[in-house]
Amino acid sequence: MAGVSMSSNVHRRSQLSAIAWLRWRLFCNSLRTTRGQMELVSRIVVSLAFTLLGLGGATGMAIGAYYFVSSGKPEMLALLLWPVFVFWQGFPIMATAFTNNPDSSELLHFPLTYRSYFLVRLAYGSFDPATALGSFWSFAILLGVSIARPELLPWTALVLLLFAAFNILFMQMLFAWVERWLAQRRTREIMGVLFVLLILSFQLIAPLTQHFEKKPQPGFRRFVEILQPAQSILPPGLAAHAIAQVVQSQFMAGFGSLLLLTAFAVVIGYFLHVRLAAQYRGENLSEAGARTVYEKDRRFRLGWNLPGFSQSVAAVFEKEVRYLSRSGPMLLTLIMPIFVIVVFRLGPMSSARHSGVFLGRMPNMAFPAAAAYSLLVLTNFAYNNLGGDAAGIQFFFASPARFSEIVLAKNLTHACILVLEVAFSWIAVTFLYGPPALSITIASLVGLLFAAPVNFTAGNLLSIYSPKKLDYSTFGRQRASQTTVLLSLLVQIVVVGVGVAVFLIARSYGSFWIAALIFLILAAISSTGYVLVLRRLDRIALDRRETLVAELCRA
Amino acid sequence: MDAAPTISTQALTRRFGELIAVDNVDLRVAPGQFFGFLGPNGAGKSTTIKMLTGLLAPSSGRIEILGLDLEKNPVEVKRQIGVVPEGMALFGRLTGSEFLNFAGRMYGLDRVTAARRASELLDFMQLADQPKKLVTDYSHGMQKKLAMAAAVIHGPKVLFLDEPFEGVDAIAAGTLKSMLQGMITRGATIFLTSHVLEIVERLCSHVAIIHQGRLVAQGSLEELRAGVQAQTARVSGNVSGVGSVDSSAPSGEKMTLEEIFLRTVGGSRQSEQELSWLG
Repeated sequence: MAGVSMSSNVHRRSQLSAIAWLRWRLFCNSLRTTRGQMELVSRIVVSLAFTLLGLGGATGMAIGAYYFVSSGKPEMLALLLWPVFVFWQGFPIMATAFTNNPDSSELLHFPLTYRSYFLVRLAYGSFDPATALGSFWSFAILLGVSIARPELLPWTALVLLLFAAFNILFMQMLFAWVERWLAQRRTREIMGVLFVLLILSFQLIAPLTQHFEKKPQPGFRRFVEILQPAQSILPPGLAAHAIAQVVQSQFMAGFGSLLLLTAFAVVIGYFLHVRLAAQYRGENLSEAGARTVYEKDRRFRLGWNLPGFSQSVAAVFEKEVRYLSRSGPMLLTLIMPIFVIVVFRLGPMSSARHSGVFLGRMPNMAFPAAAAYSLLVLTNFAYNNLGGDAAGIQFFFASPARFSEIVLAKNLTHACILVLEVAFSWIAVTFLYGPPALSITIASLVGLLFAAPVNFTAGNLLSIYSPKKLDYSTFGRQRASQTTVLLSLLVQIVVVGVGVAVFLIARSYGSFWIAALIFLILAAISSTGYVLVLRRLDRIALDRRETLVAELCRA
Repeated sequence: MDAAPTISTQALTRRFGELIAVDNVDLRVAPGQFFGFLGPNGAGKSTTIKMLTGLLAPSSGRIEILGLDLEKNPVEVKRQIGVVPEGMALFGRLTGSEFLNFAGRMYGLDRVTAARRASELLDFMQLADQPKKLVTDYSHGMQKKLAMAAAVIHGPKVLFLDEPFEGVDAIAAGTLKSMLQGMITRGATIFLTSHVLEIVERLCSHVAIIHQGRLVAQGSLEELRAGVQAQTARVSGNVSGVGSVDSSAPSGEKMTLEEIFLRTVGGSRQSEQELSWLG
């Protein structure tokens, strides 16, 4: 290589500074767009929130550490180190929601040594909020221990330094392996479904806790007794023991715990090395699965037919349903209303009959609330209904189909989903709260006839005026545009406000049939508005085609 | 050109703010022509093809396809044309068969015809052996073939192709070329952009070259060749007293399209511009 004669150390430093410069330029360039500036503002807000969280947590950690050591219970430091560990590892996964690190594979195009690559990956991992807060809290624990017993400062510092190194390595290892699973669409979808199930399962913690609190659970206590020694041989427990044993002058035992903690870090480091080495060697995971050759299917399959609708409407309807049925994340969104009814019934609701919570006082409002929530869940689909089409939007504009037909088909799909959701919600409410009164059922259904066209009209307009590309196969970081979020929120507030007002009026007159009647009048108005806007959509979409194509076809 | 053109534009212009991407372009493509639309990167090829297919509105000027004003009759025009745009316009979460079925019906075919043609096209494009595979899992070449199949499923009279051979292997390219030649034989008109000049030279009967938004050449390959040779001869004649300016001027040999292209857009590079430290 002519002109390249630097020593390897200088070369490595030069590469690392070039990468740091690259990150800086990427950040600066992102500020050129309004979206980038909005992102910066939100980052500043989030950073402030983090600072407060960090300071509060650190104060608690320092006081706790001081108390445990000064009161002769140093082994209780595990109670502080476990939350630090869980936050350190859990937060990045929740916050980044399974997105790949875009730089790592691109860097491999350059003559980077494996050591530089490893260091770069570790450095990337070290500049994130979880590491900052985790390190800060570890430092607070060190402070608390050192104030209580100043002579412990060097030993505690060593233990906590190792604990921090373990956490950084562990987080990077998790990410490296998760990245490997997410590199392929199918495993990405499976991971996504597991992720949502995990999030949903958090909702059940409160009901379960309440359940266990009500009566003595010998099995649960036994479980805790088994858990205690198990935690002590895991890194947070080992770090706590290493400090506690030295406090109790058991230096060899303390050193042993430190050695075990080191062994954990080495093993985790090895697993990280295995993954990064594979990436470094040029592992390139394809989106496509292994080629499976099937016998040619000579039969041809007819598309769906929608009586009363054109071929275009039927074709788009079929396409929408197929898209939805292949999207684990989207399907999971749709079970939310049922899930929420169950959570309300098992959790706060069960004790709320006496505490005055809304559904506790008015269980007959469970069905209207569930119906409203079903519509709310559809916001994701209805307010960005072209987002999932991505580059396919060009096909719509190139084809002779009218845009109003395309949008009508999408609205039809969403309406069918709403009908199914509402039917399932009715069944769930019947089982959990008892069958809703006929007048309430009818009033709720007619209420939807008013609310759905309002949402579809606003959704159709925002889908065209403020589109955002969506990948139906992944989770996280796929928010609609800020404009859509704000305006859809406004529409929902108005619609829910009107709904509540109508129900209150009907309740004051003692008959929910009045609500049905008012909703019927409102439904006629909203449906007329829907049709009028739908008729104008061809022109609106044509005028906005450049923005639509540019936004949805972007890589 | 006696016959009424299949594609014609008059003073077609497109501005993006201060930038004039396409500047007063007058195109004429006769029925049955295999028309290559060439230009350097950023010359305005994709912008032009987007305007011709209704994906982008012109700032000014007029477009007629098959004698119909595109602005006034967009649906009627779109019914008779097929398009493979830059981003291929595929729906990734459908299978190949589902996508072609969908495309056929969107172009107005009935369910049975759409299904039968989808099956035939998948066979022809050698995409039928993986019926359950989603389009998003197809390779780039397979996606290109599928996009081409979707563009022709309704039997268009005019086909617009933006870089149809980009990223396509030799076997797939052969399949596509034979299909396109067959369409020309049956009277269709094809308008394509490509950077692969050898392919354009082999396939196209007529060529237009756009440079910095302006149409700088248009005609059959022979007409373009004659034009460039005449221009070269004029320049040589004017400077004959001080020696030849262009030592690589053709001397009886047939000029390739690449040579015509480079001379038209002025793409030759002086030797002093070369990067001496390379190699």
